[in-house]
Amino acid sequence: MKDKLANFNSLPKKELEALDRAAGWSLNLTELSEVQRQFRKMGRQPARGELETIAQTWSEHCKHKTFSGPVIFRAGAKVKRYKNLFKETIVKATRSLNRKWCLSVFTDNAGIVEFGKTGKWGLAFKAETHNHPCAVEPYGGAETGVGGVIRDILGVGLGAKPVLNTDTFCFGRLDTKKRLPKNALAPGRVMRGVVEGVRDYGNRIGIPTAAGGLYFDDGYLLNPLVYVGCAGLIPVDKIGKRVIPGDLIVSIGGRTGRDGIHGATFSSANIDEETTASAVQIGHAVNEKKALDVLMRARDLGLYNAVTDCGAGGFSSAIGELGSETGARVRLDKALLKDTRIEPWEIWVSESQERMILSVPKAKLRRLAAILDAENCEYCVLGEFPGDGRLLVTHGEERIVDLPMAFLHGGVPNFEKPAEARKVKISCKPPAAPKGGYAKVLADLLAHPNVCSRHSVITQYDHEVQGGTVGKPLQGRYGDGPGDAAVIWPQAATLDLKDFSGFAVAHGFAPAVGRIDPYQMALHSIDEAVRNLLCSGADISRTAILDNFCAASPRDPRVMGDLVLAAEGCYDGAMAYGAPFISGKDSFYNQSRDADGKEYPIPISLLISATAPVEDVRRSVTMNFKEPGNPVFLAGVSLRGMGGAVYGEIIACANNAVAPLDMKAAVKLYSAIARAMRSGCVVAAHDVSQGGLAVTLAEMAFSGGLGAELDLTGASREDGLTPVELLFGESPARLVLEVDKSRETEFLRLVKGLPVAEIGRVNEEPELSVHDGGEALFSSDIGALKASWKKELI
Amino acid sequence: MKRPKAIVLRGTATNCDIETANSFRYTGAEPELVHINQLLAGEKKVLDYDLMAFPGGFSYGDDISAGKIYAVKMAKLAKDFERFIKDRRPVIGICNGFQILVKTGFLPENRGNAQVATLYTNDCGHFLAKWIKLKVNPKSPCIFTKGLPAEIELPMAHGEGKFIMEDKARLAALVKSELHALTYVENPNGSMLDIAGITNAAGTCFGLMPHPERNFFPWQNPDRPAARAAEAAGFQFFRNAVEYVR
Repeated sequence: MKDKLANFNSLPKKELEALDRAAGWSLNLTELSEVQRQFRKMGRQPARGELETIAQTWSEHCKHKTFSGPVIFRAGAKVKRYKNLFKETIVKATRSLNRKWCLSVFTDNAGIVEFGKTGKWGLAFKAETHNHPCAVEPYGGAETGVGGVIRDILGVGLGAKPVLNTDTFCFGRLDTKKRLPKNALAPGRVMRGVVEGVRDYGNRIGIPTAAGGLYFDDGYLLNPLVYVGCAGLIPVDKIGKRVIPGDLIVSIGGRTGRDGIHGATFSSANIDEETTASAVQIGHAVNEKKALDVLMRARDLGLYNAVTDCGAGGFSSAIGELGSETGARVRLDKALLKDTRIEPWEIWVSESQERMILSVPKAKLRRLAAILDAENCEYCVLGEFPGDGRLLVTHGEERIVDLPMAFLHGGVPNFEKPAEARKVKISCKPPAAPKGGYAKVLADLLAHPNVCSRHSVITQYDHEVQGGTVGKPLQGRYGDGPGDAAVIWPQAATLDLKDFSGFAVAHGFAPAVGRIDPYQMALHSIDEAVRNLLCSGADISRTAILDNFCAASPRDPRVMGDLVLAAEGCYDGAMAYGAPFISGKDSFYNQSRDADGKEYPIPISLLISATAPVEDVRRSVTMNFKEPGNPVFLAGVSLRGMGGAVYGEIIACANNAVAPLDMKAAVKLYSAIARAMRSGCVVAAHDVSQGGLAVTLAEMAFSGGLGAELDLTGASREDGLTPVELLFGESPARLVLEVDKSRETEFLRLVKGLPVAEIGRVNEEPELSVHDGGEALFSSDIGALKASWKKELI
Repeated sequence: MKRPKAIVLRGTATNCDIETANSFRYTGAEPELVHINQLLAGEKKVLDYDLMAFPGGFSYGDDISAGKIYAVKMAKLAKDFERFIKDRRPVIGICNGFQILVKTGFLPENRGNAQVATLYTNDCGHFLAKWIKLKVNPKSPCIFTKGLPAEIELPMAHGEGKFIMEDKARLAALVKSELHALTYVENPNGSMLDIAGITNAAGTCFGLMPHPERNFFPWQNPDRPAARAAEAAGFQFFRNAVEYVR
């Protein structure tokens, strides 16, 4: 490799590509040629450290060149061109909505919105993925995923205090019949490793893991998805940061080692039999907790001017980002190391965990050092930000990097990617009545891995540390009902026990819809997330959302087509719901080959994470039935179509039509329900999602230990709707409400003229019975329903 | 009214320090977060306070075993802690704090550096977080549990909560003196005699695995009707301690 590096500028294309593969840079030929051109212009050969820096900085992971690049989209005869897909969809919605409570969007490590009524606080929220690492080393991958997103919150503005972790996982079916390649791990093994990683990191660092989801589909067999999120509180006067020339570069927290070399570039590679676990970092939660404790004190004392986290690309990207205007002088021989056998360029790009970079005025170093020592937190001074725009990295006498910052941050070439809409055959054939009867289907649906209880996973996470988890993942009379949203009262951040302001966090995720219609998938996901927030009693008129896209290889125009359609859905959904995107991330190349050489691309997967304020956490609402005699209402219109429904995985069903979301009607309905929730007359609310209406009703019943006698005859529906579609269809924009019987008239006045129908009453008898149009559909014992549902997944 | 001074001890990865301090402040004490390093350096003195709390968390990562490293760090200061307990100034250890008090030997017999019991890995083999029912021993001298109903609910969140006391005679003496102030209704971790919390003979030094600071306000309860109650069970633990020193 040494010879090739010495002649880099004159290497022919074939050898360039071979060098790229050997070095693990994941740069394409256009990019490599651009690098050659630049160095020829400078009249010298690049050093290894410079090529490494460029590979990190230009990686998909750091630059998001696919999503923010030019695209040409074709759907039949229709052609649409984008110069920057991300800016023309996601960012455009946020800019057009221009909500004044958005304090920082897209620019920092996380988005920030206003929190509470005092005007003192902001809420920072961020989610990302750690898919590739979890495929090869699930435990370490999940741990460092959690650690990484927490550092994003620590490194936003001058640092926010993390108050909530979220996680959503996608695995292959635990009972899969598919053959795996030699190096792939069985889904059960991946799941156990990931859950244990999240548990051991999140619990040790003292942040509640209280929201998220689990999703099983063989599309994720070789490429599991691990979405991790974090929310934190930040004083509004600590949102800005600015490196001042002359500031010292201080690294605090963990030491630097050889773990996680090439993590950023590895995430742009397809996983194959040659993939190894050495690209995955090793986590140490306690070091991150030390850094957290130091940062919170040092921030309030004003001991540094800027901070960011070491994530993908390590020092090279963290110092590169902070010094993008000032330049940086870095002495790698000053770094604290885990392993002295490390090469200088490896120190520069290592992704060892738990490191934060601070920009510290010289006069304040002593006071900062005192706090670091008091908390037993290690640190080193790596150099300074000079103000000349030049990046000079040395190790002793050796020059590792000597480049103008402008080249690194501006130079990346981009080219137009082709995208085309997938052709999916749609059948609208009405589903027939299932042979075993509706009660049997309901029991089977409740036991389905995408519906059944998640308690065996949730109880391994400390979801109540910090004492602020008011809306819990497990709620209801027996503390085991499936909550729709986490409601957080951040007392450990505000220290204010008389202020009951909180926030809710919920998710929407619909890859099964995405296989058929990526545009509707985005709409359904936004709708589901907002509806979940609504169920908890949050003020959805101030919803902020995050987009996290995962997709297969962007070299496949159909994958790009999925992305374009979903991004357009994001734009339309955000505009209709008035919910701006405040941050987001994307992960591509989630694609692998199995033992027979067959490609396994994941389905287009979009996780929408949403947050909205809760005015008074004491009045937040849970999902279980509360009191016999209370009326039960179904809100929303049930539509035809079984596309994307879990039902289809249990009973053969040709119908794959996706029920389209009527955004206008949904927004109108939700704002009326939000008023009713605020008035306090709604005592329970639960969304209709996976498994459909029957599952929603069953969950509300057994989580409250109460039955219900229901008749759906009056429920709003599309003409020709079959009982299967009514009970098990997953058309969006529907929820079930229980209303305080003494306030029924008040409720009816608030929802007048809207598709909200009383469908019966809560009952002391432990029986859930449902009629429709004179026909008895099913009647089940709630104990038996709960027994089907309460499975041990792990 | 006098606001008693409460020292809330912390170290690396003591995670429940802030909400524990909040609970003391809410019930009328003046809490102060103090790092064990500050005590070891002589910057702060244990005997300057009226109340003491060892909050939950994963002190020093629970490396070796839960609470062990923190307990070792306290060894040099054993005399001060012994004095504090002998003076009958209230001490509460919650979860990791309970583990620390047992591993130093301050519970159940106030013998610094002479451990006689332990809290071991749960029978299920892993961390478990859920709400559980507890029986309150009305005959216990424990000042923290005075006035509580016969049965209460608190959340637990631990991986090492299995109470073990190998010396049968000691365990019998503990029970005879009614030092087992709290027991599980359904044993979640395999603890001997379903023990969830124990006190010293004076009733002033108390450790428990579940978290009273997480059922301190009614709205922290997962069941909404309970959330409308005037007062939550955990509140009483803190108020009792503050009133005791007033």
